[in-house]
Amino acid sequence: MKKKGLGSLLLSMVICGSLLSACGGNSNTSSKNSGDTEAKAKVAEIVFALPSFNRIPDDLSKVTNAINAITTEKIGVKVDFRLFGPADYAQKVNLALQSGEKMDVFTTLGQFSNYVSKSQVAPLEELLPEHGKELTAILDKDFGPDILKTTTMDGHIYGIPVNKGMALPTNIIYNADMLAEAGVAADSIQSAEDLPAVFGAVKQKLPDVVPFGPINVNPTDTGLVNWMKGASKVDYLTDTTGVGVVIGDNGKVVNFYESDVFKNGIQMMRDWFEAGYLQKDTATTTITAMEMVSSGRGFSFLGGYSGMEVGKQLSAQVGKNIETKRIAPFYFDTSAVNSVTWMVSSTSKETEAAVKFLNLLYTDKELINTILFGIEGEDYLKVDEHHVKFPEGMDANTVPYTAMLSSGIVGSESLQYQLEGIDWSDVELKLKENKDTARSPYFGFIFDQGQVKTQISAVNNVVSQFLPALVSGSVDPETIIPKFISALKDAGAQAIIDSKQQQLDAWLAAQQQ
Amino acid sequence: MTARRKSPSKPLKKTLPLLILAGPGLLYFLINSYFPMFGVFIAFKDVNYAKGIFGSDWIGFKNFTFLFQTSDAWIMTRNTLLYNLAFIALGTIVSIIIAILMSELLNKLYSKLFMTGLILPNLISMIVLSLLVFAFLNADSGFVNHSILRPLGLPEINWYSEAKYWPYLLVLIQIWKTAGYGSIVYFASIAGIDKSIYESAKIDGAGKLKQIRMITLPLLKPTIIVLVLMSMGRIFNSDFGLFYQVPMNSGALYSTTQTIDTYVYRALMQLNDIGMSAAAGLYQSLVGFALVLTVNAIVKKVNPENALF
Repeated sequence: MKKKGLGSLLLSMVICGSLLSACGGNSNTSSKNSGDTEAKAKVAEIVFALPSFNRIPDDLSKVTNAINAITTEKIGVKVDFRLFGPADYAQKVNLALQSGEKMDVFTTLGQFSNYVSKSQVAPLEELLPEHGKELTAILDKDFGPDILKTTTMDGHIYGIPVNKGMALPTNIIYNADMLAEAGVAADSIQSAEDLPAVFGAVKQKLPDVVPFGPINVNPTDTGLVNWMKGASKVDYLTDTTGVGVVIGDNGKVVNFYESDVFKNGIQMMRDWFEAGYLQKDTATTTITAMEMVSSGRGFSFLGGYSGMEVGKQLSAQVGKNIETKRIAPFYFDTSAVNSVTWMVSSTSKETEAAVKFLNLLYTDKELINTILFGIEGEDYLKVDEHHVKFPEGMDANTVPYTAMLSSGIVGSESLQYQLEGIDWSDVELKLKENKDTARSPYFGFIFDQGQVKTQISAVNNVVSQFLPALVSGSVDPETIIPKFISALKDAGAQAIIDSKQQQLDAWLAAQQQ
Repeated sequence: MTARRKSPSKPLKKTLPLLILAGPGLLYFLINSYFPMFGVFIAFKDVNYAKGIFGSDWIGFKNFTFLFQTSDAWIMTRNTLLYNLAFIALGTIVSIIIAILMSELLNKLYSKLFMTGLILPNLISMIVLSLLVFAFLNADSGFVNHSILRPLGLPEINWYSEAKYWPYLLVLIQIWKTAGYGSIVYFASIAGIDKSIYESAKIDGAGKLKQIRMITLPLLKPTIIVLVLMSMGRIFNSDFGLFYQVPMNSGALYSTTQTIDTYVYRALMQLNDIGMSAAAGLYQSLVGFALVLTVNAIVKKVNPENALF
């Protein structure tokens, strides 16, 4: 009896153990099998995780096979292709990294220094000269030679920035039909100062329409901060808190929320709010301006978009006649580039294969477009050299596979197909603007948050408490901004500013040598 | 020798079937509750994935400092404690009242019907509930502003940016949601009370209220104490849905809706730092553990029979 009991206990433990290990061990065995069947020397297998902003299909095997056909042939690498929605991408990747699951190539979605500071990503500078020659060349060609500075910390290159239109000037996106109905000429909009008159005209003519709304909700973001960054040359210096920024080129790290640029911007939004151009509950609404516009209840919002053809894409998405006007330039700072970066996990055992794959991801037209559009004839039809369309009677939601909205993330935009009707010159314009747009003198500086991690966390909490209400104009800046600033001081803002100033000074000194 | 060996195995022989029965449960606790406890040491480490969790540097209590970095530390601790005290006190009282009212209902069918109705709110998810609340309180078209305050000519209230209303709202919502479910145990205890005690009380001339005060409540005391003790252990935890979803994560309300859980969630969403989250979790558990011990010790002193252990 005793033996029996022990036996059952052991048995159940074994079952549990095998269940647990099944999650981890899977990929190893499959790579071994493929190694046996292939006559080739050795096929390395890597896991490649891509965020997709389109519908995610249940069955990826066809596309995975198509990708593998390209990669095994060209570089001898087999790819385990994973596709996650934008909302859980970071979570799924973090989970895999923390649990030691295989995860070789992934993108940052804005968390570059976070991954680096925790040593979750592998340095690539030794592998790039050998396996990433073409990749480095194409980045040099499209951006200029210093682009990899934005992903270099302590002499190590930790990521490869995506090659797309990075300059995202602030646009006012509006319903062109409503503008015409209100009797306003589109050319009268040149800067943010011109907007109140437009909103006023729209409100008078169409009293049921909300003239302006937030681009993002929960937390609310009206696009105001991005507008201020571009219009006043504010460099956030690679963290998102905003307590340590440089305005202009004086090299002095200040708290952005204490600056006149911030106060004036907030006052502008407050004036809009009080004039009734925003909804009363903008600070807490769960409806984005995009949804308002597509339902015909909203008129406009602010967004950062590259190129000039975005109106066409948005028109197709929201089903209204949408046009855009640039009202502030873009200001290139380090995070503008390194917020979308491809990285190789520090726990990866196939770093060489991963870099080979990245190289292909930037240079191989076939691979890039298979990842974005799927299989020709089934998921898309070729129109001409640069353009594709969906098969008869299908759209982005009904074709078996498409990840085309992720085009800003995968490889080189100049090798990607565009949907029929989009002017190809726009892609060239974006590449040109990557080189021409004004760069911050601190371009390439990366703030190491290690020393002030706890302060950053505390400050982030304060920011999320005050900022949404301020940028939507729904509270009185006279009384709330001082409260906000004193709460930031309590949270340790000064320590962040000091630490940043010190690192920036050291960086500037190193640049001059 | 042989006799010695046999005698201890005899009780084992008796209990072995029971042990086997308990086996899966014990295994469950072992895997889900005891093994993860080793993870506690992560709270004292500066986790570095290249070195691995075990190889990372020890940093003492540095991970804990972020919890106490700001004036928020006081606000969130106060909120967590006061809300939970209010939930325990009011929740217990309302549950007992419901249970007594139900037990006084002579018609069994009605009592079953009401009971089911009272449990229903507990089945609604916090997300759905947050939308229900939003439908009542939103600034433009919410029921309260649109159909009550406006027709009466009263000034409208922007509920989601005025922190002062939320302590009442949150307590009300929590009681509405949980009191019915909480009353079940009390209802069962009351049903277990010997009916002859009430009959003899009636003969002695005790009215309904006196019966409740002199018989029902004293006999419910052990149940009340056990349930309160159990909720004491969770006093440093808070229902994330209630404090995060229902106020729509509105920044203007943090002074009265921020609890330790929501603070930690917001901080860690931005940092992805398991060292800090482990520290926060450990802090919550330790204080909860200490509270259970304290309350139990007090109960033991006052009335040893009612103590949990």
